[in-house]
Amino acid sequence: MIEVEHLSKTYGTTSAIDDVSFSVEQGEILGFLGPNGAGKTTTMRILSGYLPASSGTARVAGFDVHENSMAVRQRIGYLPEVPPLYPEMTVKGFLHFVARIKGVAAGDRAERVQSALTRCNLLEKQDVLIRKLSKGFRQRVGIAQAIVHDPPAIILDEPTVGLDPRQIIDVRNLIKSLAGDHTILLSTHILPEASMICDRIAIINKGEVVATNTPDQLAAQLTGGLRYELDVEGDLATVQANLKELEGLRSFSIPETADSSRSKVVLEFASSYDPGREIAAIVVHAGLGLYQMRRSQVSLEDVFLQLTTEEPTEEPTAEPTEEFSEADVETSNLVPPAEESADDRTVASAEAEQQPMPPDQQVTVDASTGAIADHSLPKPDNHP
Amino acid sequence: MIILANILAIYRRELQSYFSSPFAYVIAGVFWFLSGVIFLQTLQGASLSASLGDQAGTGSVDVPYLLLVNFLGWLAIVSLFLLPMLSMGLYSEERKRGTLELLATSPVTNWAVAVGKLLGVVTFYVTLLLPVMVYEAIVLSTAEPAVQPAVMVLGHLGLVLMATSVLSLGMFISSLTDSTLLAAILTFGVMLVLLLVNWVAESVSGGLADTLRHLSMLTHYSNFIQGIVDTSSLILFGSYIFLGVFLTAQTIEALRFQRS
Repeated sequence: MIEVEHLSKTYGTTSAIDDVSFSVEQGEILGFLGPNGAGKTTTMRILSGYLPASSGTARVAGFDVHENSMAVRQRIGYLPEVPPLYPEMTVKGFLHFVARIKGVAAGDRAERVQSALTRCNLLEKQDVLIRKLSKGFRQRVGIAQAIVHDPPAIILDEPTVGLDPRQIIDVRNLIKSLAGDHTILLSTHILPEASMICDRIAIINKGEVVATNTPDQLAAQLTGGLRYELDVEGDLATVQANLKELEGLRSFSIPETADSSRSKVVLEFASSYDPGREIAAIVVHAGLGLYQMRRSQVSLEDVFLQLTTEEPTEEPTAEPTEEFSEADVETSNLVPPAEESADDRTVASAEAEQQPMPPDQQVTVDASTGAIADHSLPKPDNHP
Repeated sequence: MIILANILAIYRRELQSYFSSPFAYVIAGVFWFLSGVIFLQTLQGASLSASLGDQAGTGSVDVPYLLLVNFLGWLAIVSLFLLPMLSMGLYSEERKRGTLELLATSPVTNWAVAVGKLLGVVTFYVTLLLPVMVYEAIVLSTAEPAVQPAVMVLGHLGLVLMATSVLSLGMFISSLTDSTLLAAILTFGVMLVLLLVNWVAESVSGGLADTLRHLSMLTHYSNFIQGIVDTSSLILFGSYIFLGVFLTAQTIEALRFQRS
């Protein structure tokens, strides 16, 4: 449905995207994932016909976005980063206007608008001025304007940015419900979001697509494997040797902690074998205090960081982690040091509440929460 | 057909936004107040000169005609301040709100958007003129001998044509920036130049002077309010209007190429 081949875009001498190729199949949701400034918006603008590409081709439903711009524009719904809304119009009036300029036949308009209102849960707000809507509702109106003409392809640029947790869940569900009938390309810099909503993910960094695959396979592609993190009290030396002899062990490390009486141990294993039982036995048998033991799969976040970080030493997250106070370190087990928003943390916990999960999985969700954009581009004023 | 439907869609939205914004009502209020005061003054001045004419026994002054010419002159001056305020937001607001991205990714040509917007703002301006025309008509209907309706209609047609030219160029200026204030100031400047370029013409000579005099909107507007229709005036205003729409469409196209 959407085919992008060798697409490049340069502004003067700087290149925004370079030789980007990917395709989105009919009815699929492709997540476009990358840190801020990676070229997501540029690619989407080219696809929507807003920007011309410097070279390469992009086709939507078989039409070239440049040569058949009007045909493409009729077939896509596009939600830019900032929802394009007229504050002085009512929700319904605005959707009617969009339906009109998108070329929906006069007879179908009322029905299309009604259906968009229903899908986006906007029925109760249909006669309210857009100016008076909260941000979450505006975002929904933005999505409604992208689907009001029932386009085969929908392009959403960061549809959940700036929403509160409840709204993010609503919007994600809405997007999922659109798949099937519509082909969706959506960009995000929030990893869990991509792995939750999307059928496939294309990771873009510095203008290049570095990987395209399903969320599971992306993780598997990189390492596959299990990871155990232990929080132990007592003399580690007594168990170290035993732990190191465990079957399938790939790496063993003891990260520094602030508390001298307790130590952390991180063990990584080949995925075929789960040594949880043995680990617990070794630690407890040696008479050490086992305060925490958790298992996590290598997360998409790790994949992302590996793919987009050239030199780990330059990774800016290292700094804020060290600056964390003791209290932070203790609680940061469940929450990554990245400072992305209380928002996202709450999302994860809100979701965890909603759908009770086994404890180990719950931990995985939490651990993978956080925005990768913040790993690469931390906002200094958010640090504690 | 589709293009017409698109123009109509843009036009309707534009009008709708005027009639639902306090800004438009404030503008209308101020305009009606000022034009009312000015009309009263002009009327008193005209009746004064009429009575003076009667006393002097000359009696040849065509008072209703003078009233119309003077008042239309004043209306043009009031419009001078009003028009940049009407055109300033046409595109700069769309740019600021990001709605330009919606328009530019919809199956609508830049031309249709520009024409629809221009028609919308001109309609709003004409709406402002309507009540004013009503009280002019009431006063002039009492004149003896009656003023020819054609003169009155032509005068206002000239005013609307001139306003459309200014609004069209103002729309172009508005498409260049996302600051409404800057758009208003620039439009005001450009409009002054185009209105008063015949002053410059007086200090130069030869073909250049003729050209400049011809480019001046004021010259052609004066013709109109005196009831003179020259094809060249129509062509000049038509050209300004076309130029504004054309440049607007081109700017929006160009905007996509340089956007960073």
